[in-house]
Amino acid sequence: MAQVLLKDLNKKYDEVHAVKDVNLHIRDKEFIVLVGPSGCGKSTTLRMVAGLEEITAGEIAIGDRVVNDLPPKDRDIAMVFQNYALYPHMTVYDNMAFGLKMRKFPKAEIQKRVQDAAEILGIQDLLKRKPRQLSGGQRQRVAVGRAIVRHPQVFLFDEPLSNLDAKLRVQMRVELKRLHDRLETTAIYVTHDQVEAMTLGDRVVVMKDGWIQQVGEPLELYTKPSNRFVAGFIGSPAMNFVDVGIQGGDSSLTAQGTGIRLAIPPVNASQLGPYKGQRVTLGIRPEDLHIAAGGDQAGYVFDAVVDVVEPLGSEILLDVKAGPNSLVARVEPTVRLKVHDGVRLAVNPDRLHFFDMTSEKAI
Amino acid sequence: MRRARGTRRHEIWLAYLLLSPALLLLLVVLAYPIAWEVWISLTDLSPLNEGGAAFVGLANYRQLLTDAQFWRAAAVTVAYGAVTTVAKLVLGVGFALLLVRPFRGRALVFLAIFLPWAYPAGVSVIGWYWSLNPPTATAYSVFLGTLKYAVDGPLGGGAWAFLSVTLFNIWRGSSFIGVFLLAGINAIPPELFEYALLESKSGWHRFWHVTVPLMRPFLALAAFLSLTTAFADLANVWMLTAGRIVFPVIGTHAYWLVIKAGQFGPASALSLTLVPFLLAVLLVLFRLFDAPEREAA
Repeated sequence: MAQVLLKDLNKKYDEVHAVKDVNLHIRDKEFIVLVGPSGCGKSTTLRMVAGLEEITAGEIAIGDRVVNDLPPKDRDIAMVFQNYALYPHMTVYDNMAFGLKMRKFPKAEIQKRVQDAAEILGIQDLLKRKPRQLSGGQRQRVAVGRAIVRHPQVFLFDEPLSNLDAKLRVQMRVELKRLHDRLETTAIYVTHDQVEAMTLGDRVVVMKDGWIQQVGEPLELYTKPSNRFVAGFIGSPAMNFVDVGIQGGDSSLTAQGTGIRLAIPPVNASQLGPYKGQRVTLGIRPEDLHIAAGGDQAGYVFDAVVDVVEPLGSEILLDVKAGPNSLVARVEPTVRLKVHDGVRLAVNPDRLHFFDMTSEKAI
Repeated sequence: MRRARGTRRHEIWLAYLLLSPALLLLLVVLAYPIAWEVWISLTDLSPLNEGGAAFVGLANYRQLLTDAQFWRAAAVTVAYGAVTTVAKLVLGVGFALLLVRPFRGRALVFLAIFLPWAYPAGVSVIGWYWSLNPPTATAYSVFLGTLKYAVDGPLGGGAWAFLSVTLFNIWRGSSFIGVFLLAGINAIPPELFEYALLESKSGWHRFWHVTVPLMRPFLALAAFLSLTTAFADLANVWMLTAGRIVFPVIGTHAYWLVIKAGQFGPASALSLTLVPFLLAVLLVLFRLFDAPEREAA
């Protein structure tokens, strides 16, 4: 168990600057998730921690050792790959024992560790099989078991659930979380799936184009995204964005967009004051839109036309048009609306987001 | 019910009809010549004999077993096949491992490695022959002459020629096997090698425990190709030694018997002696190529 420090980490290939000035302090026992679209540098960062990619500039420390020049084998990490990377010519037992054998552990110790890990993962009956005789979920468990037996200081996961079907992915997600609670080993987990990131991470690191966009606890990222990218990336369905102009007098401000006009709630007024007369991006999460009722204040409602109705059982996603703006509202499953129906929607005034048009930073 | 049976019969006929071109081809170019050769090996067919061929039973085979020249040719063939195959596999694996990772000038190295194979064999052979036996006086003629005598002296006349055939085979074949194995390695997910890198610092351990087992099917196929071409090799040996065979292989020996001596029967028997051997090799390598999986309980 150990903390991991990434200091001014950079990775450049010939043409591509894949990782840019990444600074991150991963605490001991923490489960941290790197998330972002493909090409954002998350996997490259992980592979630099593993030692599979050379570090162009910066420093990586695991525990209190700088590992920049240590070969992968000496970094005391264990990695789980997306395609599991199990050896087809070895049994499950030999696959799990491989790392320990290479490190010349005594036979009895290897056997004990493999048995223990197999028990934790419920794969005792599979030890004599070859990988090709296993299902995807079983292979995934073996790959995790292979990491567990090493008792490493840090687990590295590179999209380990991406090759599983949706149902199994949810199940393995829960198992991984339980496993981490039990083993308390520091873990760095890479995924492009924001649901995985939110559910697994103690903290989540959102990356884009090689830059860290925001680091924070899952709910913090959700409720206080630091910029428009994080706001749009975290959450499903994604946050709605509307271009609006900030107008108003001394006492009150309004956000005026095409086909939509909302009062600026007092909580946002002071930050938005300097933007008077300028355009900003308004962000509204789908669950912060609801069918207007008597209790909603006049300034926070607008009219729209239903474009698509997506009933999900527990809720309905309403795709609506307000002027040229497409918005998604998450509404009660009891709402009965048809395509082309007019609908009056209201926003939660204390949960609006505003972003600077040029810097895209949260206001 | 009857209609269904009729359709089924119709389908079976159609299947045979569609298969027939391939079957016909196999019969004409494979089954018939082999059967003919087996038959000839049991006769005394020769253009030198008056009249037709007479059945002589296994006489040709019995004659081979007592023929010192046959045993010599067999021994040389086995040595030739074994030495060239081992050398080509070793070099081929080396080439493949060298080329699998990107480095500056990789394209040039790839070209240098692949050129011996890509070049037409006939031209390569002549180039090789003239390099070792310069047709005009060259700077290294004397050196090569000395080398030839140094080899032929202790090993007997023709040793130098045979060595040059072996080297030619290795030079040209390792080129092919290198590129063949490179394609094999590239088909293996890189994570399998990366995982080994995470677990072991010793390149040697990684090579034996991971690279070789993962490449096993490709190695087996490469060994098979190498052995069969070496055993059936006539052209290269003939072209390089110009028929002055002191170290005969089965192929050249059979060629002598049939073309120079007109002994069709013994020559057929001779070439057929290779068949059981090749089948055994194929069987062993096929198991390596695709080992049957033992089902776990």
